[in-house]
Amino acid sequence: MKALRPLLAAGLLVIGVLAVIVLARMPRISAPPDDTPSGAPTPTATAGTIVLYFVADDGSLRREGREVPEVPAATPALIRLVLDELLTGSREGLTSPFPWATNVQAVLVDDQGTAYVDLSPPPAEDPPTGSNVETTLVYAIVDSITANCRGIERVQLLFGGREIETLGHLDLSRPIAAGADLVTP
Amino acid sequence: MRPLLALVLSILTAAVAGAVAVTAPQGTVEVFARGELVDVLALFQVAGIEVKFAPAAGSYSAVNADHQVQFTPGGTLAVVDGRLLALPGPVRTLDRHTVATVASAALLLAPFDWTLTASAAGLILSRGVTGDRLELSVVHAEDGATIVIAGSAKRPRVVATAGAVTLQYPGPIMLAQPWPPGPEVTSAEVQDVSLVLRLAAGLEVASSYPLEDPIRFVIKLGKPQAQGQVASARGSATVVLDPGHGGEDQGAKGPGGELEKDLTLQIARVAAAKLQGAGVTVRLTRDGDEAIALQHRTALANRLQAVVFVSIHANASVAKGAKGAETYFMNADASDQQAAASAARENATAGADTVELILWDLAHVANLNASARLARTLQERLNALQGIRDRGIRQAPFVVLTGATMPAALVEVGFLSNPDEATRLLTTEYQTELAIALADAVIEYLKTPSPATPTAPQP
Repeated sequence: MKALRPLLAAGLLVIGVLAVIVLARMPRISAPPDDTPSGAPTPTATAGTIVLYFVADDGSLRREGREVPEVPAATPALIRLVLDELLTGSREGLTSPFPWATNVQAVLVDDQGTAYVDLSPPPAEDPPTGSNVETTLVYAIVDSITANCRGIERVQLLFGGREIETLGHLDLSRPIAAGADLVTP
Repeated sequence: MRPLLALVLSILTAAVAGAVAVTAPQGTVEVFARGELVDVLALFQVAGIEVKFAPAAGSYSAVNADHQVQFTPGGTLAVVDGRLLALPGPVRTLDRHTVATVASAALLLAPFDWTLTASAAGLILSRGVTGDRLELSVVHAEDGATIVIAGSAKRPRVVATAGAVTLQYPGPIMLAQPWPPGPEVTSAEVQDVSLVLRLAAGLEVASSYPLEDPIRFVIKLGKPQAQGQVASARGSATVVLDPGHGGEDQGAKGPGGELEKDLTLQIARVAAAKLQGAGVTVRLTRDGDEAIALQHRTALANRLQAVVFVSIHANASVAKGAKGAETYFMNADASDQQAAASAARENATAGADTVELILWDLAHVANLNASARLARTLQERLNALQGIRDRGIRQAPFVVLTGATMPAALVEVGFLSNPDEATRLLTTEYQTELAIALADAVIEYLKTPSPATPTAPQP
């Protein structure tokens, strides 16, 4: 056993040197912030008011302010908060713009001022249709996001992770800018 | 001694198992990997492409002089030069590395002309110089055909011209194999970064869209609509009326299951008869219960060089109290106008197809004022009806309006989702009143000379 010791030591040395070479050859990349799965740094959150748009009884959009305990500094987190509050529904008796059960599957922001929001797809059978259903859905989302997120000018909606051409009326293949046409005071 | 040996061996095994050999033009390097996942930031570094993390957006941005790719840890979407790209698997953070599947990493590298492929020895990262290999197939149908193009994750710009369709790709392309002439697609050839498909007589592009799993691009071809009904007056300008929806697309529903597609057809028929009686040439986009692509509806009007396009719809809302009539015309926001103008400058020396496309874009913008006047005239006539609620004229990017190269408007005559209004909308008398109001509005619009009606380019 003792006779094997020098051999073992030499073997360990060779292995150790090899390990150092392998590790040294791996490209060094600055590690991303690893505090969240999205890689975003922890935002400094402060309480504040956000603005949401819901559907009034006449089919127009109406503004509703809402106090929230934390307004995230990072844009994707703020967009998620706005959409979550929109999905929670109005506290002032207004109607939800979402014609079917929806959740937010992904949010992505580019540096050209466009937010991409991926929603669960419409039901395959008998989806609600009508241009007012579509315009209130699209502009409640676009107007709510652009009203709260500085630097976001347009929103492209995706459904089930896919770009779609239309839900029947509006051209959704491109990002949509905020529209004040539907909003009533 | 044995525990020490075991420890060192396990560390080494972990280090080796946690890396993959990547063969790049400058040599072979080891990159962090775990199972199917590989360090995507390391691959960008090997390719010499700068990657920055933007904390505010929560995303990485890979940039070189020509291209930009943004992706977010935790997300399955990337933005490639402003276009969205769905990844087959998410980008994730693993042991302080940003990793993705080899397939996803390959898609993120592809815009920079780098190809990532798996081999027995690891991964091969090579400079792509040949371009995407496009695989073409054509599916025949009774009323046209569907062209499926596989082999590129890049989304082409589709330019339809008489007898051909050109797909302009953002990077180099090649055909996987020569295309033998077929009954629908008579030839296929690559010109620079464009794929030019010549179409058999009588076929035209009805729609185009990307598909995923696997990534493909689809072009639907259709036959131009057969001559519709309605008589023509000698030499007069043509008006196209578009009864909304049709076929499987039933549109909105009334309280008793009444269908928007039936209501819009009835109103369009009566309005067409009234216009015809006044000597106006009228064509309907459909004269039966047919499903017609939105682009096909405006394509008919464009081909006929119609002077007016009116799409007729009935509305529905999530708000039960919503009622009344409203008229839309297209909105071309400032960026669209700027895009058209800058494209015109950049392509001053471009081929005829490009110039035609730009003229088309400019015609949209130039028609805005005329479309607004048409919408106002239609809405005023509807407002004159007894007991109707005026919801005004509005702008929104309706698909059926953005394709028109003449003054165009979309009328929502009332809400089928409102029980009271639906009851009224479903009477023959009210449908006739609405139809006559729309016809009178078109006649009034045609009688008033437009200050600057532009000439739409030849489709």
